Amino acid sequence: MISRRSAFKAAAGIAAAGTFAVTEGAQAADKTVKVGMDLSLTGADSESAIRVGNGAILAFEDANKYGEVPGIKFDLVKFDDGTATAGQYDPAQAATNARKMVSDKGFIAALGPQMSGAGKAMSPILSEGNLAIITPSSTNPDITDPKFAAQYRPKGKAVYFRTVTTDAYQGPNMANFLAKTVGIKSVYILDDSGAYGVGIADSFQKRCEELGLKVLGRDRLDPKAADYSAVLTKIKSLNADGLYYGGVGQAGVKLAKQVYEILPKIVKAGGDGIYGVELLKGAGFPAADGWYASNASPHKDDGDKKMKEFSDRFNARFKGSPDDYTLTMYVAARAIIETVKVLQAAGKPVTRDTVRDGLQSVRMANSLIGPVEFDENGDLKNKVISVFQVKKDASKPLDNMDDQFAYIGIAPMS
Amino acid sequence: MTSGELFLQQLINGLNLGAMYSLLALGFTLVYGIMELINFSHFNVFMVGAFIALGVLRLMGLDGQNVILSGLPLVAVILVAFVVTMFSTGMIGVGIERLLLRPLRAVTGPAAMILTIGVSYILFNIILIGVGGDTRNFANPLPSVSWHFGEATLRLRDVLIWGITIVLMLGLTYFVQFTKLGKGMRATAQDPEAARMMGVEVDNVVGLSFFIGSALAGASGLIFGLYYNYAKVDMGFSAGLRAFTAAVLGGIGNVPGAMLGGVLIGLIEAGSSQLIGQAWADVIIFSILVIVLVFRPAGLLGRQAPNKS
Repeated sequence: MISRRSAFKAAAGIAAAGTFAVTEGAQAADKTVKVGMDLSLTGADSESAIRVGNGAILAFEDANKYGEVPGIKFDLVKFDDGTATAGQYDPAQAATNARKMVSDKGFIAALGPQMSGAGKAMSPILSEGNLAIITPSSTNPDITDPKFAAQYRPKGKAVYFRTVTTDAYQGPNMANFLAKTVGIKSVYILDDSGAYGVGIADSFQKRCEELGLKVLGRDRLDPKAADYSAVLTKIKSLNADGLYYGGVGQAGVKLAKQVYEILPKIVKAGGDGIYGVELLKGAGFPAADGWYASNASPHKDDGDKKMKEFSDRFNARFKGSPDDYTLTMYVAARAIIETVKVLQAAGKPVTRDTVRDGLQSVRMANSLIGPVEFDENGDLKNKVISVFQVKKDASKPLDNMDDQFAYIGIAPMS
Repeated sequence: MTSGELFLQQLINGLNLGAMYSLLALGFTLVYGIMELINFSHFNVFMVGAFIALGVLRLMGLDGQNVILSGLPLVAVILVAFVVTMFSTGMIGVGIERLLLRPLRAVTGPAAMILTIGVSYILFNIILIGVGGDTRNFANPLPSVSWHFGEATLRLRDVLIWGITIVLMLGLTYFVQFTKLGKGMRATAQDPEAARMMGVEVDNVVGLSFFIGSALAGASGLIFGLYYNYAKVDMGFSAGLRAFTAAVLGGIGNVPGAMLGGVLIGLIEAGSSQLIGQAWADVIIFSILVIVLVFRPAGLLGRQAPNKS
C-alpha cells in the first residue's frame, strides 16, 4: 500500500514532461542509453508522482553533469500510466508503457511504477523483454514472490526490483520491534477478516512464536460491527502486555476508541492499514494516541546529515522538499548508474541483459536508505520497515499525518 | 481480573449490546406490529438520524471528544439534539410513506417490502455521496462517570442506554395496547376496511405510525452516536442485521419481544466472544435463531397471527 500522505505537502518543482537529456559535460562520442520511468502523472497521484520522479531526475542529471560513467550518457524517458478516465493509475496504460519500453532496444533499464496494480501489469511484459525495472514504492509481496513467478516473471529471471520492502515484512518486523525495542512479553492478536489484515496478522503471529513472545490468543473482528468490548474484556482478563491489530481503518478506528476505554495501558500496534488520516479523524484524540504503525518503506529522517545534504540539493534544484519515495526513487536511479559504471569499467557491453544481471549483484553499502542489495527475486535484502507512533502535537493540525505520527525508527530485522 | 469480575463485566457488555439492538428493533417491530410491513429502510433512517444528530451537535459547538458538559447545558443540548433528530427522521418516515408506500397500499404481496429495500439504498447513497464513506467522530459530551466492582466497570452511559430502552419499551407497549390511537393502529393493521367503517382515519394512523417508528430510528441513531462515538454510512446495515434478528427472535411485531430478543443476542455475543471467539459469534447467534424458529415459528413472545382473508 502506498500512502497518499505526500499529496498534502507542497508540490516540488515540475520538470518538463516527455523526454529530456542533460548534455553538459558529456563528450560528443558518448553513447546514450535510455532509462524508462513509469509514473502516475495524471490523476490523484500526480503530485506525488512528480516529487518521486524528481528523485530520478536529480540522480541522472548529476551523473551526466559530472561524467560519472565515462562514455555513457543517460537519457531518462518519462511514461505516464495515469489516465483521465481512471482518475489515477491504469494497469492497461502501464502495460502499454511497458511494451513501448521493451520494443525499443535503446532502453537498458526502467524505473517505477508507483503502484502495485501497475507493477502487476508491467512485470510479465518486462520479463518477456528481459528489461529490469526498479520500483520506488510498490509494496505488494506477490509481484516478487517465487510462488507467483509463472505469472509475474514467466522468463524466470527477476526483473522487478524494489528499493522498498514488501508488506510481507511489516508483521514480522513489528513483532521484533515490540519484543526487543518495546520489550513486551505477551500479546493478543486481532485481525479484521480482510485479505490484508489476516495476512499481516498471520505473519506477525508466526514471528512472535519464533521469538518466544507469548501469543495469548487470536481473534477476528467483524469490521462492520460496532462493539468490540467483549473481546477486549477478554484481553483485559488475560493481562496482555500488547495488542496487535492486522487490518485497515474500518474496524481499526472503532477498535482504537474502545481499546482506549477498556485497555488504556496496553501497548497497541498495527500495520500501514492504520498508518493514515483515518485513525486521526475517525478515532480522534485521545483514543488514537500511542498507537504504533509500520510502513514498508524507509522514512526521511531530518536529523540525518546525509539526508540533510540530499534535501538541500533537491531543494536547490526543484524548490521543494523530497518525500520518502523520492529517496527510494533516487536510490533506485543510483543503483542503475552504479551497475552501468561497473559494466563500463569492466569493458562489458551496456545492454538490458547485462544491466539486469548487473543489478542482481550491485552493492551500495551506504545509500540514503542504508545498504542496498537485491536478492534473487529482486527484493531488497535489507528489509527496512519504518515504525511510527501517534504522539499528539496540539500545536499542529490534529488530522495531519506528518504532524501527529512521530517517526520512531527502523524496526529490527531479526 | 477474577473470574467473577470477568463474568460481571461480560454480563454488562452483553446487556449493553442487547440494549442497543433492542432500541433499534423497537421502532422496526412497532411498524411491523401496526402495518404488518417489514420496513427495511428503518435501519438506514437510523443511519441518517445519526448523521443529522452529528450535524446538530456540531452546530451547537460539540465536535469530537473535547467538550464535556454537565448539568443544565448537557440536558439542554441533548434535548435539542433529540427533538431535532427525531422530528427530522420522523418526517423522512412520513415522506417515505406518503410518497412511496401509499400508492402501493392496495398492492398485495412483497412489493412494499421490496420498495423499502430500495429506499434503504437511496438513503445510503445520499449519505455516501453527500457526506462520504469514512468514519466520523461523534461528539461525546457525557461526563465519564463510572462505578467499579473490582476490575469490572459500569459506566454512566451503560445505565442510560438500559434505562432509555426500558422506558421506551414500556411506553410503546402502553401506547399500542391501551391508548385510543394505539387501538386505532391495531385495528388498521387487522383490517383497514373495517377500521375505516368504524371511524378510524386510516391514512392518518398509518402516517403517524411511520412518524413514530422513524422518530425512534432517529433517536436510536443519536443514542448510538453518543454511545459509540462514531457515525459511518454502513452502520445501518450491520447494526440493522442484528436488530432485525432480535425482532424476529423475540416475535416480530411484539414490542417486549424485541427487547427480549435483543438482550438474548447481546448476551450470546458477549459470551461467545469470551468463550469461543468473536469470529464465531454470528454463527452461534444465527444457529440459535434457526433452532428457535424451527420450534416456535412466531418467535419467543410472538403469537401465531390470525389468518387474514
